[in-house]
Amino acid sequence: MKLNAVLFIVLAAALTLSVGLASAQQEMTKDQWQQEMNKYTQTRNDLQTKSKALDGSISEANAKSVSLDGEYEKSLDELYALVGSDREKAAAYRTEIGGVEAKAGELMRLSDADLLARSSEVKDLEAASKELWNNKLALIPEFWDRVTELDNKAKSMTETLAKQVKTYTVGTWSKDRDCLWNISKKPDIYDNAWMWPRIWQGNRDQIKDPDVIHKGQILKIPQGKEMNDEEKAAAKKYYGKKAAAAAQAVPQAPPAAAPAK
Amino acid sequence: MSKLNRMATTIGVTLLFSASLLQFGCSSGPDEKQLTSLQTLKDEVAQLEKEIKDKEGKKGELDKIIAEKMAGVKKINDDMAIVKQRLAK
Repeated sequence: MKLNAVLFIVLAAALTLSVGLASAQQEMTKDQWQQEMNKYTQTRNDLQTKSKALDGSISEANAKSVSLDGEYEKSLDELYALVGSDREKAAAYRTEIGGVEAKAGELMRLSDADLLARSSEVKDLEAASKELWNNKLALIPEFWDRVTELDNKAKSMTETLAKQVKTYTVGTWSKDRDCLWNISKKPDIYDNAWMWPRIWQGNRDQIKDPDVIHKGQILKIPQGKEMNDEEKAAAKKYYGKKAAAAAQAVPQAPPAAAPAK
Repeated sequence: MSKLNRMATTIGVTLLFSASLLQFGCSSGPDEKQLTSLQTLKDEVAQLEKEIKDKEGKKGELDKIIAEKMAGVKKINDDMAIVKQRLAK
C-alpha cells in the first residue's frame, strides 16, 4: 500500500512537471514581449509613414488627372478652330456621317439585283459622300478615315452597278432608225416601245429632249420590265405637252420618233 | 522494500518541487494588460497594411487613367499636326 501511494505521488509529480514544462515553453517572457512591442511599434510607424506618402501620391495623381482633362479640352477646341469649326459643329458632322454610314451599310448588304433596283440611292450616297468632303472637318483624322471609307463603299457599289447596267450605243436614223421608241422596241432591250421613258429617265444626264438623241451616245438601259412612278410621270408630262402642241397644230407622228443625229 | 520506498519518495518529492518551481517560481512574463497592448498594436499594423494595399490599388488605377489621358492629349496634338499638313496642301 505504501508503495502504491509512493508510486502515485511520483506519477502525479511527473505529470505536473510535464505540464509545467509545456506551459513554460508557450508563455512569453517579459523580454520577448518587449521585443515584440518594439518590433510592432517600428512596423506601425513605418506603415504610417508609407500611408501618408501614398496619400500624397494619390492627391498628386488626382491633380494631374484634372489638369490633363483641361489640357485635352483646350487642345480639342484648338483642333476644331484650325478648320474653322467648333465642338457643336463637329458633333453635328459626326451625326451626319453616322447617317450616311448607316445608309451605306444598308445598301452594302443588298444583293446585286436589289442594289440595281435601288441604284438611285447609290447615286444619292455618292453625292452625300462628296458633300461630306466639302466640310473642312473632314480633314481631321477621325472624320477623314470615315469619309474615305464611305467614298470607297460608294465607289464599290457604283462599280457593281456599272457591271450590271446594259448599254446601247445609238446609231443613225438613216441606217438604224434609232430613236428611243425603236430602241425600246428591240427584243434585246425591252421588246416594248412604250418603255422608252425608262431609257430617257435613266439617261437624263445625256438626254434633255427625248425626241433628240445623237449617234454615238452610249445609253444606259435600266433593268426591269415595268416603269416606276417617276418614269410614268415623266411620260405623262411628255404626252401632255405633245397633246397640247398637237391641239394647236397638225397631229404629229408617234412620240419619241425624232431621228438620231 | 523500504529502500525502494525511500528512493521512490525522494524522486517524487524532487519532481514535485521542480514542478512547483516551474509553475509558480519561474512565471515572470507580461501581465494581461501588456499582452492586450501588444495585440492592439498587432491589430493596428494589420489595419495599416490593409489600408496601404487599398491605397496602392487606387494609385495604380489613377496611374492607368493618367496614362490613357496623356495618350488622348498626344493624339489630339498629332491630329493637329496632320490637319495643318492637309491645310497646307
